[in-house]
Amino acid sequence: MWWKTTSVLILIYVIIAGIGVPLKPGIDRVAPLSSKAGQSIELQVFGYNSTFSETASEKIRVWLEFDSLHAIQSGKVDVKNDTTLLASFQIPARLPQNKQSVLLNVIVDHPTNGVSLLPAALEVLADTAVNTDAGNWNEHPISQLHVIKDFSYPYRNVIYETIRNTYFHVPMWFALMFMFIASVYYSIQYLRNPVAENDRRAVAFTETGLLFGFLGLVTGMLWAHYAWGKAWSNDIKQLMTAVALLVYLAYFILRASFDEPEKGARLAAVYNIFAFSSLVPLLYIIPRMFASLHPGATGNPAFGSEDLDNTMRLVFYPSIIGFTMLGVWMAQIRYRSLRLRDRLADID
Amino acid sequence: MKFFKTPRILTLILFLVIHLPLLQAQGNRDFMRETGKIYVVIGVILIIFIGIVLNLIRLDRKLTKLEHQLNEEKNEQSH
Repeated sequence: MWWKTTSVLILIYVIIAGIGVPLKPGIDRVAPLSSKAGQSIELQVFGYNSTFSETASEKIRVWLEFDSLHAIQSGKVDVKNDTTLLASFQIPARLPQNKQSVLLNVIVDHPTNGVSLLPAALEVLADTAVNTDAGNWNEHPISQLHVIKDFSYPYRNVIYETIRNTYFHVPMWFALMFMFIASVYYSIQYLRNPVAENDRRAVAFTETGLLFGFLGLVTGMLWAHYAWGKAWSNDIKQLMTAVALLVYLAYFILRASFDEPEKGARLAAVYNIFAFSSLVPLLYIIPRMFASLHPGATGNPAFGSEDLDNTMRLVFYPSIIGFTMLGVWMAQIRYRSLRLRDRLADID
Repeated sequence: MKFFKTPRILTLILFLVIHLPLLQAQGNRDFMRETGKIYVVIGVILIIFIGIVLNLIRLDRKLTKLEHQLNEEKNEQSH
């Protein structure tokens, strides 16, 4: 009983910490979106969760960065309010690369908010009319950044607060994996020792795993609608998980199609081993071979270490444990009801 | 036709999940995209909660059926 209470307590902690802990300050957007080489511009920077006016404006530094070697620092920084500041730039006449246009990142370094970056924020077009060599891309290198270490989640553009879904959507798939591992374990046990107990456990764990899979898919679709623009964009990982869930759905159809329960149970156990051996390539191997909208580059279908910082780990790992324990609990109730059903059938 | 009830609820929820954003997008303001899309997180937590509750309802129905069966057998024995 203690572990059931623990799972609920862990999940309460996950929900409170998952929703309550704030995001780090970041840059929401800038205006204007494009400029020409050789011009001087007033760049308006809009912050998210930021407190720009907390310090004197001289201490705030703003850069336009092309790469680690090419960056220009702003002259005067004018703080309008906590979430708006104006930075004036003199863009050099020559672009760092011999191209029609370059995309520059905006970096804001604030003593208390820390450093934040908006990638590809400003497009600078080459201006053939300007032929001077005025301006240099590497006079003010980016240095002495303020890295703030506090209890907050990373800010990511576009996804914003939905980074918290990492604690609710992703553990579904972890819990599904644990449920299906338990299910295939009991299926193998059933083939070695065909007692109804092993079969009932296999069924219960498969059902719970399928529930997690369904929830993972639906929550993923909701998240995708707001992060990728479409609920279903035929992302390789979406397709493969849908296939995997259909494979597991067939497990129940197979069971139900036999009149003799024992024969059905034996074939279902064999099928479950096949289903599990197709689950691993479907979820972990094939998605690595194609480009995916999921975080991480090709070769990493879920997320890498850069997508999960130490604060997030403090909530993410408990969430996996909590949902897995809740899953074991649900599976246990299910197999107890199955046992009751079988006992009643024996009396007949 | 009790068997078909749960899938019908699931279809309804799936329909809502997919169409709610579309219905809102027709208005001028999409409240799901306000305040850093925090309502997406609330939505995800709600979906998980509803999913677990539906599983609970399904189990409840199965156990009720078993209880009825048990009562019938007891009645038969007493006769």
